[in-house]
Amino acid sequence: MRAEGDIYVVHRLLDEQICDAEGRRVGRVDDIELSGDPPRITALLVGEGLYPRRLPRRLARLARRISGPEIWGKNALRIPWEEVDELTSTVKLRKKAEELGLGLGDDPERWIVRRLPWN
Amino acid sequence: MTGTGRKRVRSATLLLLLATLALAWSGCGELSNDELNRGVESLSALAAQGQLVANGVARDATKITYARAMARTLGEQAEHEAEKLADASLEEPETADQRHAAVAVAEEISGLLSELQTFPGDERHGELVEQHLGEAGEKADAIVAQLSGDAP
Amino acid sequence: MRAILKVALGIIAAIGGFLDIGDLVFTTQAGALFRYDLLWAVVLGVIGIAVYAEMSGRVAAVSGRPVFDVIRMRMGFGMGLLALVASTFVNVLTLAAELGGIAIVLELLFDAPYSMFVIAAAVALVAIVALLPFGGIERFFGYGGLLLFVVVATVFHQNPDWGEVGRGFIPSLDSSTLYLYFVVGVFAAALMPYEVHFYSSGAIEEGWTEKNLKENRLNAIVGYGIGGILAVALVIVSGYLFHPVGVEPDNLGTVALPMQGAFGETGLLLALGGMLFCVGGAAIDSSFAASYNLAQFLGWEWGRYQGPRKAPRFTASWLVFLLLGIGIAESGINPVDITEYSVVLAVVALPLTYLPVLLIAGDRSFMDQYANGRIAATLGWTYFAVIVVLALAAIPLLLATNAGGG
Repeated sequence: MRAEGDIYVVHRLLDEQICDAEGRRVGRVDDIELSGDPPRITALLVGEGLYPRRLPRRLARLARRISGPEIWGKNALRIPWEEVDELTSTVKLRKKAEELGLGLGDDPERWIVRRLPWN
Repeated sequence: MTGTGRKRVRSATLLLLLATLALAWSGCGELSNDELNRGVESLSALAAQGQLVANGVARDATKITYARAMARTLGEQAEHEAEKLADASLEEPETADQRHAAVAVAEEISGLLSELQTFPGDERHGELVEQHLGEAGEKADAIVAQLSGDAP
Repeated sequence: MRAILKVALGIIAAIGGFLDIGDLVFTTQAGALFRYDLLWAVVLGVIGIAVYAEMSGRVAAVSGRPVFDVIRMRMGFGMGLLALVASTFVNVLTLAAELGGIAIVLELLFDAPYSMFVIAAAVALVAIVALLPFGGIERFFGYGGLLLFVVVATVFHQNPDWGEVGRGFIPSLDSSTLYLYFVVGVFAAALMPYEVHFYSSGAIEEGWTEKNLKENRLNAIVGYGIGGILAVALVIVSGYLFHPVGVEPDNLGTVALPMQGAFGETGLLLALGGMLFCVGGAAIDSSFAASYNLAQFLGWEWGRYQGPRKAPRFTASWLVFLLLGIGIAESGINPVDITEYSVVLAVVALPLTYLPVLLIAGDRSFMDQYANGRIAATLGWTYFAVIVVLALAAIPLLLATNAGGG
C-alpha cells in the first residue's frame, strides 16, 4: 500500500505503529493533521502531549495534569506526510529516528537511559 | 431551605449515622448459628487434612520439610479458628455448650499439629497424631450434628 | 523426523506457564467441594483459551500485530487505555500471586522463610531471563511442568469410579451460589489473559509468518490439550481424596497431598517440582505480558530479543513490574488469597482484550484469506458470549460466597 491514494484514515492510519527507516519502533500515530479543502493529510502527530486530546473531556483534564501541556518539539512531534515511505502493517518512514527527533525515549544517549544499570 | 431546616437535616443524618454504627458495632463479633457451624466444619476439615499429612509421616512416605510446613500452616489455622470462636459473643446463648466444646476441639487439633510440627520425621508420633486427629475430627462432626439438631 | 521434534518442543514451550497457581488452587478446591461435577467447566475453559490463543497467534503471524497493537488499532486510544490499565492491574496481581506461589513451594521443600524465597525467586527469574534465549526459557519451564504427569499417574493409581468421573463431563448447573462461583473460577483460571498476551508477543519475537499457522494451531490444540488433561487430573485426584473427608484445600501444599498418598515421597517431590516449574513459568509469562502490553500500546521498542540496550524502556518496565510483584508478595497477604481475586478480576477484564482480537481475526483487510472461517467465527463468538456472562457474574458471586469461603 503506497502513501498516495485513498486510505481509511481512522481504520488504518490512526494509532498505527511507526517505524523508522531502520525498522526501529518509534511511537504510534497519536493524532493526524489535516489541512486544506478538500482535507488532505499533511502530517502525523506523535507524543504523550497529545494523549489528553484523545480522551473524553473529564479524563483529559486529569491527563493533562499528569503528562503536562503540549510542548511542540518535546512531548508532541510533527512528522510531515512527505516523510512517510509506505504503509504496510506499520507506518514506515523515510529517515532514521534521530533525524526526525523520534524515539528519544529509547535513545541510548538520553540521560535516564544511560543511568540504567546495563548501559 | 432555611437555617434551622438545614440544622435539622444535619442532626437527623448524624443520628441516623450513629444509630447505624451502633447497630453495626453491636452486630460485630457476634457469632450466628450458621457461623458457628461453619467454624466447626472447618475444624473438621483441618483435622482431616492433618490426618493425611500425619499418615504420610507415619508411613515414612513424605518429606520432612513438607510435613513440618504443612503442620505449621494447618496448626496456625486451627489456632486462629479457636481464637475466633472464643472471642465472639453468641447470637444464641443456648449454643454456649457447643461453642465451648468447639474451642476445646480447636485447641486439641492445634496442639496435635504442633506436635507433628516438632516431630515431622517420627513415624510413631505420626501414627498417634493421625489417630488422635481422627478422634478430634469426630468430635467436631458431633458438635455440628448437635448444632443442626438445635437449629429451628 | 526433525519437524515432528520441533513441533513437539514448540508445544511444550507453549504450555509452560499455562497451569498457574490459579489453576492449581481452583481445580483442587473444585474437586474437594464438588467431586467430579465441575470437570465439564475445566474442559470448556481449556477449549476457550485454545480458541483465544489460536486467534491471537494467527493475527500475530499474519498481520505482525500482537494483542495490544490490535487493541489500540481497533478500540482507539481511550478504550485501549482502559484495557491497558485493567490488564496491567490484573497481570501485576497475578505476578505477585505466582511469585508468592513459588516461595510457598520452596518453603515446602527447603527450610527457610517465605520472605527470603520471594526474593530468591525473583533473582532466579531475572537470571533465567538474562541468561537463556527466549525459546530456551519457555522450554525450561515447559519441560519442568511435565513433572505434573505424576498427577495423571495418581488418577490411575486411585482408580476412581469411572462412571462417576464420566458424568462430571456432562454440564450441569447446580443452583448453589458456591457452585456457580466455582464454575466462573474454573473457567477464569483457564482463560487467564496474560497467557495469550505473552503467546502473541512471543509469536512475533520468534518471527512467525503465515508458514507458522499450522504450528500455531497445533500449539493451541495439543498444547492446551495437554494442559487440560493435567487440570482434569487435578480435579479427579482431589475429588477422590478430599471430598469424602471434607478437606478444604486452602493451602498450595494441599495440592500435592494426593500424590504423596499414592506414591509417597517420590510422588510428593514430582508434584512439588512440577508445581514449581508451572508457577515459575507463569511468573515469567505474566511479568512479560505486563511489559509487552505497556510497550506495545505506547509504541515503544519492545522484545526480549532486542535486549536491554535496544529496548531500554521495555526492560526497565519489566523490572518495575517485577518489583511491584515482589512488594505485593512480601506484604503478608496469602498468595492463595491474592489468586482468588486475580483470577476473578481477570475474567472481568477479559472481554476488553478478547473482543478486539476476535474482531481483527475476522477482518479480511487485516487477515487476507486467513480471517476466521465459519468454525473459528462460531467458536470465537460463542466464547465471547460466555466470557461476557462470566464477567458480569464474577464479582457478585465473589462477594456472595466470600471468595469461595462460604
